[in-house]
Amino acid sequence: MAEASSSITEKFFLTLKSSDGDEFVLEESIAIQSITIKNMVEDGCSSSVIPLSKVDTETLIKVIEYMKMHSSTSSNEEEIENFDKKFVSNSINTILNILEAANFLDINNLLELCAEAVANRIKNKTPEAVRKIFNITSDFTPEEEAEIRNETPWAFEGNLDHSLD
Amino acid sequence: MGSSLSFLLMPRVSTTTSPPANSGLGDLPESCVASVMVYLDPQEICKISMLNRAFRDASSADFVWESKLPLNYGSLIDRVFVDDDENFPTNLCKRDVYARLCRPNYFDGGTKKVWLDKGTGRVCLSISANGLAITGIDDRRYWSRIETDESRFQSVAYLQQIWWFEVDGEVDFPFPVGSYSIFYRLQVGRASRRFGKRICNSEHVHGWDKKPVQFQLSTSDKQQATTQCYLKEAGKWKYHHVGDFVVTGSTETMKVKFSMTQIDCTHTKGGLCVDSVLICPSEFTERLKRF
Repeated sequence: MAEASSSITEKFFLTLKSSDGDEFVLEESIAIQSITIKNMVEDGCSSSVIPLSKVDTETLIKVIEYMKMHSSTSSNEEEIENFDKKFVSNSINTILNILEAANFLDINNLLELCAEAVANRIKNKTPEAVRKIFNITSDFTPEEEAEIRNETPWAFEGNLDHSLD
Repeated sequence: MGSSLSFLLMPRVSTTTSPPANSGLGDLPESCVASVMVYLDPQEICKISMLNRAFRDASSADFVWESKLPLNYGSLIDRVFVDDDENFPTNLCKRDVYARLCRPNYFDGGTKKVWLDKGTGRVCLSISANGLAITGIDDRRYWSRIETDESRFQSVAYLQQIWWFEVDGEVDFPFPVGSYSIFYRLQVGRASRRFGKRICNSEHVHGWDKKPVQFQLSTSDKQQATTQCYLKEAGKWKYHHVGDFVVTGSTETMKVKFSMTQIDCTHTKGGLCVDSVLICPSEFTERLKRF
């Protein structure tokens, strides 16, 4: 029954446009894992191309790869698990871009996957090491920094990892 | 609030001659940073909150700390802060609720205290000797109370000698879901200081080598455990494991009863300090064994 109906039912396609101007055609049923896109479809804004001004081509390819894997009926749990494991082994910059895209597109699973991956790279590092790895500049004065340390002295106890990997 | 992060970082990006092609963690919207923090433990969050102002703002997001608090922290607060002089302050943000619950929170007339383990947010609870039912406690021939800073509650019950040894207790508490272990914190002999040095007085110590001490626990949902052991090693505070219990539903309170007995009346026993009973997550057992 399901098979028969799916062969008759017309598949809808959406066109997503990256910030670099590249267009990607994707099945609607896959794309609506993104709540942002789903809302646009429901509001009738999807007849033409959907511009994703905050997502570059490289990132969008990854996001689409993820959505395809997670919506496919043929992929089993183990395959998805392996895919996710490999997915988060991308470079940290790629992960950060995907995290931001997942936040913008409102894909909760993907956001959680990337957030956890980033968290794992921060764990046990000193604030200085995290700053270097993620290229973050401090905008605190030394006095303010000392004040923050005093607020939560227990957070700075124990052996921390100074390495940058 | 969500847009403040990119705004704050604008100067850095615009002053570099070749702006980085990829975003760094510092360029992420505050809500993304907060999502990352959900996966960090509280100490890590406080640590990275000092990276810059944007991180600091993200680190106080309620949803970050909501994930660190026990699911039923509301009923926990209701149980602990009842018609006390000290009511739980309302309108605290979740981070401050967490910090507040990590401090020792005394209840039931100061005989019990509960706190969250700051690293994991798990509930720990301790009951002082004053909150335990000790057979013969009011008879100076048997028991006395000793003030000491070695206690978790400033004072311990000291047994000189007795035939019927029994120390019972119970607590009715909305324990969050998880498995817990119960321990008696005891010391054979009594410690004192002479010329600034800690010494152990084992004057009254006797009888513990004849028969083992029995530990028991039972809960309102019919879980039970018993164990026994000989008390030895004078002069050292030790946690004696009573047993474990599991909490599966956190909506109701759980009543836990526990006891320590040595009631073979053919001999006396004495020279024991009873400080408190500790209930903590079973994972912490390893930590306690080190002492």
